[in-house]
Amino acid sequence: MTELRAGEVVEITLRTLAVCGTALAVALGAGLPLGIALGRRRFPGRGLFVSVVNSGMGAPPVVVGLVVSMLLFRSGPLGFLGLLYTPEAMIVAQVLIALPLVVGITLAAVGALDENWELEVRTLGIPPLRRLWLLLREIRLGLLAAVIAALGSILSEVGAVQAVGGNLDGETRVLTTSILMYTQMGRFEMALALGVVLVGLTLVLAGALTVVQQGGRR
Amino acid sequence: MSLERAALAVRDLRVRRSSKSGSFELRVEALDLLAGGVLAVLGPNGAGKSTLLRSLAGLEPVLEGRIERRVTGPVAMVFQRPVAFSGSVLHNLRVALSGQRLPRAEARVRVDEVLDHFGIAALASRRAATLSGGELRRLALARAFALRPAVLLLDEPFDDLDAAGQEALSLDLRRAIAGTEVAVAVVTHDLRRALLLADRIAVLLGGRVAQLGEREEVLARPTSPAVARLVGMANLIPGTLRSGEGDLASVFVDEQHTVPVETARDGPCAALAPGAPVWAGIRPERLKLDVGRGEGLPIGKGVVRTLISDGVAATVGVAWAGLELRTHLLAGRGLARTVRPGDSVTLSVRPEDVHLLPRG
Repeated sequence: MTELRAGEVVEITLRTLAVCGTALAVALGAGLPLGIALGRRRFPGRGLFVSVVNSGMGAPPVVVGLVVSMLLFRSGPLGFLGLLYTPEAMIVAQVLIALPLVVGITLAAVGALDENWELEVRTLGIPPLRRLWLLLREIRLGLLAAVIAALGSILSEVGAVQAVGGNLDGETRVLTTSILMYTQMGRFEMALALGVVLVGLTLVLAGALTVVQQGGRR
Repeated sequence: MSLERAALAVRDLRVRRSSKSGSFELRVEALDLLAGGVLAVLGPNGAGKSTLLRSLAGLEPVLEGRIERRVTGPVAMVFQRPVAFSGSVLHNLRVALSGQRLPRAEARVRVDEVLDHFGIAALASRRAATLSGGELRRLALARAFALRPAVLLLDEPFDDLDAAGQEALSLDLRRAIAGTEVAVAVVTHDLRRALLLADRIAVLLGGRVAQLGEREEVLARPTSPAVARLVGMANLIPGTLRSGEGDLASVFVDEQHTVPVETARDGPCAALAPGAPVWAGIRPERLKLDVGRGEGLPIGKGVVRTLISDGVAATVGVAWAGLELRTHLLAGRGLARTVRPGDSVTLSVRPEDVHLLPRG
């Protein structure tokens, strides 16, 4: 009853990394272009769009989980997909949590660029792809901040993944949901072991990104 | 100027710029940037100088008319507030050349050349973000010249530099331009700096070209009082034209004061009849204090009001016919050493140095 099961810890950790890694990749893939476009272009309705993004940055994850659950519920509008209580559902919820952070921080980084930056690259006749590369280089500190914030938010998030994943053993159980479960069961040694892994992961990943970020400050 | 060949030709241009403070329209009938020449664009704030420059750079949508490029080669622009790319000075120069598809060796030669030319070789490995305002300006110019531009557009290149920095930069710029066929337009509100570089002057007022011509012509024969003030013709004396003998006429100011003027002149006053209200324009350096040196004709006595010297030149303000006329003296020499506010002096001017403008 009180034994520590290393195999289970490893399995849950790997699943967590897979789910969070996929969600992070999707959020970055969609969020970076969106953030850059919102930062560089002026169009009607942009203000509304930006305020939606900013509100999204502070959205309570558990409510995101509730909404995704309702959408994916068997009788819900997307129920036919059969995604509820699957890792895919968890990825959807995590993307929705991380996306506003990625878009918002990227947008802010692009907005902090000197307004003449764009004109400068245009008058130098730098080709578009090279321009994009230069832009990414200019805002790389902000980009890494976006990655760190997005990763931190989905790695430590419990409400949404519990709601849409259901913490099913061997299927949708991740570090945060299992810590919650073992704590409620009074199996503190398992909860603690999983907690150490989660904190360790956060520290290592955020630390590594910080090293990259600060190394790039030149 | 070698060939009087237009590198960039503006025809019937209409450009509108909208900002928070309202919209502004620039109209230019005809304006050429000549290969191997420097055009200074002068004008007060809001006259459209920067809009013109940005239009020439292709950064403003053209409503009507056209801007023709008649030479091949890049159009480079140096902004009033240049932006450095993050990374080293060297990186900035390489980035600038990245659109040119140059062989490596050629790119290296150009980079070394401009580093050397603008005196920033020692800064090559410095982070651009740590440069001072003057160094950043030099980097921006080096970046522009690295492109070997056919057209170079400079927006207030001497802004926020101290006097020594301005001097040094204008010399370097002159040297960089000399011997090339680059057509340069320089926007500035500093007449003195403009004159150091330019061989032609365009004066913009309210979004229109008020005057365009050779430097000496615009300086000596401005076409309106507003242009006259902008190009440093500080003395504008209101009066009435009176006929005289032969080529000589005069501008009657009051019973005690008249200004001699040559009549056989082209320009806006050629058709003026005696009795017409006019301005007599005299550049400060053409108005002489004291008399008896065979220079010009006396126009009456005045009282020195102000004397300001920067150690090189002294500007003297003299009360005359209810106006304050200005004249320049070399500081520390002759009269500039002895004259004091309150002194009574005689003013004189050569009739050919008086420029007539219609008034009213």
